[in-house]
Amino acid sequence: MMKYVKEMKLNFYRYWMLDTGGLTSKFKYQVSSIQYQMLIGISVILLSSCQVKETSLPIFGEREVVGTDTVYHTIAPFAFVDQDSSWVTNATFKDNIYVADFFFTTCRSICPIMKTQMLRVYKATAELPDVKLLSHTIDPEYDTVALLHDFAERLDVESTRWHFVTGVKDSIYKIAQTSYFATAMEDKTEPDGFIHSGAFLLIDKKQRIRGKYDGTKEEDVNRLIGDIKKLRLEK
Amino acid sequence: MRKQTHYFILALILLGVGLLKCTPGDSSNQTGSVKYQQYYVKGQELYKSYCANCHQPDGTGLGRLYPPLNKSDFMEQNFEEAICIIKNGRNGELWVNDTMYNQPMKSNPSLTELEVAEIATYIYNTWSIQKGIIEVAEVTQILAVCVEK
Repeated sequence: MMKYVKEMKLNFYRYWMLDTGGLTSKFKYQVSSIQYQMLIGISVILLSSCQVKETSLPIFGEREVVGTDTVYHTIAPFAFVDQDSSWVTNATFKDNIYVADFFFTTCRSICPIMKTQMLRVYKATAELPDVKLLSHTIDPEYDTVALLHDFAERLDVESTRWHFVTGVKDSIYKIAQTSYFATAMEDKTEPDGFIHSGAFLLIDKKQRIRGKYDGTKEEDVNRLIGDIKKLRLEK
Repeated sequence: MRKQTHYFILALILLGVGLLKCTPGDSSNQTGSVKYQQYYVKGQELYKSYCANCHQPDGTGLGRLYPPLNKSDFMEQNFEEAICIIKNGRNGELWVNDTMYNQPMKSNPSLTELEVAEIATYIYNTWSIQKGIIEVAEVTQILAVCVEK
């Protein structure tokens, strides 16, 4: 390919020389115009191949280079209980892509919108067996397993695909902040008693964060649904 | 010309009959009045910030978590209680369109009686029900009773 480009450059140069020398023939002109088109074609291919590289999903967080390997930020080990009283750990999402968020059932500000949007993700990924959802309650004192069970059932979602988890409050807050880079904490000055971000986090099969989206915005969630499909194609 | 005038009068009569049919018997509930428009527009704004997160912008609710207002047999049959719920919230089971809902709704103590009337005017005239303007005086009366309950 490089050889061909070089040859074209040469041809272009030749043509230019001929042209300025006033010796342009119809034949020469035709040859070079075809080659122009080829050049444009190759440029387009090169440009589009660059775009593919650009659109591969970023890897969030700090990274370290150990020898020849790059070590990326991953989700720390966790163990929570879901709406079926089953343990949910990192192993639950082995060989799975998942989307995580933080909410509580009595929240009336952004959580209902987040749940409306997460339900869209749930429906959009219905045919994708390696995609799961993980919603953490940040009010574990109120949101018991029984309550989360009822909540999930009322949304008509399967516990195998969408886990609603509860656990030790500090563990939930800690993993939110240090692993998922999401805000979640108690705040008595807030009308509902908590402050938390409405973020949806996209986690890949190696437990790395590959995307952050505003779970209250439909367009952002559309982007997430697109990115899930993109991420599944990654080897 | 005369024929056109006849048509015009006929159209007016039909329009009049149509309007009468749309509005309930009480003549004070006219939906064309400026006051109604003000209540409705303000009610729509308030609905977006206080209600739409759960009940959804189009009033259809979410699953069996948040009951629909569009449409809702509960709202049709329990006007007074619906007014109380806007202000005071509600706990426990609630049946809407043969489905049981049980998600607590928190109270909205900051809402004024005027604002409750505006929200009520919006939700009682946008979907399946056309109730006309909900007056503040009416809301005041209803809220006084539900506090006693």
